[in-house]
Amino acid sequence: MKEVTRKIYYLFSPWLRIFHWIMVVCILTLFVTGLLITNPWFIFAVDPTYSGMMVDNIRNIHFLAAYIFSASFILRIYGFIVNPGDRLFSHVWKGYFYRNVVDVMLHYMFLKHEHASYLRNPLARCSYTFLYVLVFIEMLTGFAIYYMTNINGIGGILFGWVIPLLGGEYMAHLIHHYVAWGILLFAFGHVYMVIRAEFMEGESEVSSMFAGSKILAHEPRDAGHLDGTLK
Amino acid sequence: MDKRESMWEYYLRKGMSRRSFLKGCVALTSIMGLSTDMVSKVVEAAEKKPLPVVVWIHGHECTGCDESFIRSGAPLASDLVLNEIALEYDHLLSAACGAPFEAHLEETIQKYKGQYILAVEGAVCTKDNGVYCMSGGHTFTHLLKHAASNALAIIAYGSCAAYGGIQAAKPNPTGSSGIGSFVGRSPIINVPGCPPIPEVMTGVIMHLALFNKVPSLDHDGRPKQFYGNRIHDTCYRRPFFDAGMFAEHFDDAGAKAGWCLYKLGCRGPETYNSCGNLRWFQGMSYPIQSGAPCIGCSSAHFWDEDPLTARMPDYGPFGNVDKIGAVAAAVTAVGVMAHGAMSIVQKNQRDKIEAKKHGEQVNK
Ligand code: SF4
Ligand code: SF4
Repeated sequence: MKEVTRKIYYLFSPWLRIFHWIMVVCILTLFVTGLLITNPWFIFAVDPTYSGMMVDNIRNIHFLAAYIFSASFILRIYGFIVNPGDRLFSHVWKGYFYRNVVDVMLHYMFLKHEHASYLRNPLARCSYTFLYVLVFIEMLTGFAIYYMTNINGIGGILFGWVIPLLGGEYMAHLIHHYVAWGILLFAFGHVYMVIRAEFMEGESEVSSMFAGSKILAHEPRDAGHLDGTLK
Repeated sequence: MDKRESMWEYYLRKGMSRRSFLKGCVALTSIMGLSTDMVSKVVEAAEKKPLPVVVWIHGHECTGCDESFIRSGAPLASDLVLNEIALEYDHLLSAACGAPFEAHLEETIQKYKGQYILAVEGAVCTKDNGVYCMSGGHTFTHLLKHAASNALAIIAYGSCAAYGGIQAAKPNPTGSSGIGSFVGRSPIINVPGCPPIPEVMTGVIMHLALFNKVPSLDHDGRPKQFYGNRIHDTCYRRPFFDAGMFAEHFDDAGAKAGWCLYKLGCRGPETYNSCGNLRWFQGMSYPIQSGAPCIGCSSAHFWDEDPLTARMPDYGPFGNVDKIGAVAAAVTAVGVMAHGAMSIVQKNQRDKIEAKKHGEQVNK
């Protein structure tokens, strides 16, 4: 049997990993409850006394998940501060970043047999930025809608400006809903891409989100990024 | 009227009792949304403060707000117009007309510069220099600018004055909009609604009149005491919403039983108004109570948010958002699977090539 030497690259702090899995659970919960709030297609009761306040509870679960999700960004930010592996910025101001993106894209379009190995795939990084933007829109619109019940409160002051900006609360609902679907589509693509990378490219994309490190036989092109030798 | 009299002086002149005066003050306090310990302040103001001069002008609109206004029950609109404010000019309620009437407007503006309250009803249309709305031989834009620049405060009555209303609905051929950005000065008090609730209209003007102060406003310039609550949060059908009991059609058993109208397009969850707590016409009813879903008449652009009897997912510029989302998700899933299959093929090819290379190397 051929000997393979593998190297360990410690990438993701526990904080980031916990954040990631909280995000997974929250997004799924928010999506399902959100659909049910928009269209409570299920007849929950014919008698209010024994209804169990179903729609009310679904809304409360939605709000709770939203709060937990938002609060979990504290973990993300903490990890960002303490662990260099959590803050591998894309060097978007450098030419090589775009060459790498094209390299990966050509491979995904089957125009090349493979792409170079990266600790953090540049195309994936772009998509995560996109996800953060979507999540940010959801937070802004969601909390704006939520806090309008008390515009004098701190939430109303923080998010109240969003509604007139969008031209009305109904528009905020609409955007909130479309972007939610956008996040779901992202999740589809994301799950597929990481599984593909894990099992076809040997890139430990899935396992690293559990273990924190990538154990790779090859030297990734951006390995120097981690210890600061790649500037 | 050279020396402007106060409300109390007016009562005295008319030979009305102190008792009826105090009763009026109590009614005013509650209608302004103030707590009862403010009664003494209201009485004081009503005794001393001269009746406020009001100029009331009309732009692009249907005068439905006046229809609402004259139905105010507490205070009675007639009381308000005759003995609580000095209404000097009103397109609709004034008996006078023609050149003398316009001259009186000019006189009032000059005489009470910076002291009168300007009530504006209706949108301002700005396209083609505003020719689509004329008043007294001038464009309405001219009148509005002139009257607004000398006013103490401006009240935008109705969704038209606040946001443009129905004439600002797509495609908005006359370039109509709310008066706020056109006038460009504060304070403007937005009192939206199509029409606003009568008691809200009288309450706002009395607040201004008695305290000489703009009531506390929200981010949209609406008085908080009347527009601080969602219809949905004050709706008496809310327990049905929370329980998940909805009318699905206008003629089904749920509608008959008075269940929540959410699925019939009710805009209550996004609408801020006092319909749920004040109700209309001395608490007689309000749309939801009579089985019609709220159409969000006090929200900006509500005319463009049709159909008013559908909410999301059905409602929306591109159709049913959940159907669109589900189709997009299905397409993505198929795409992912196809990509996966092709990737496997590609990987096999790559492995073959590499094995060959490897073999060659070994052979060498
Ligand atoms: S009828 Fe409208 S305002 Fe009332 S609870 Fe239902 S959705 Fe809310
Ligand atoms: S219930 Fe809604 S549509 Fe009806 S008057 Fe009140 S705010 Fe307007």
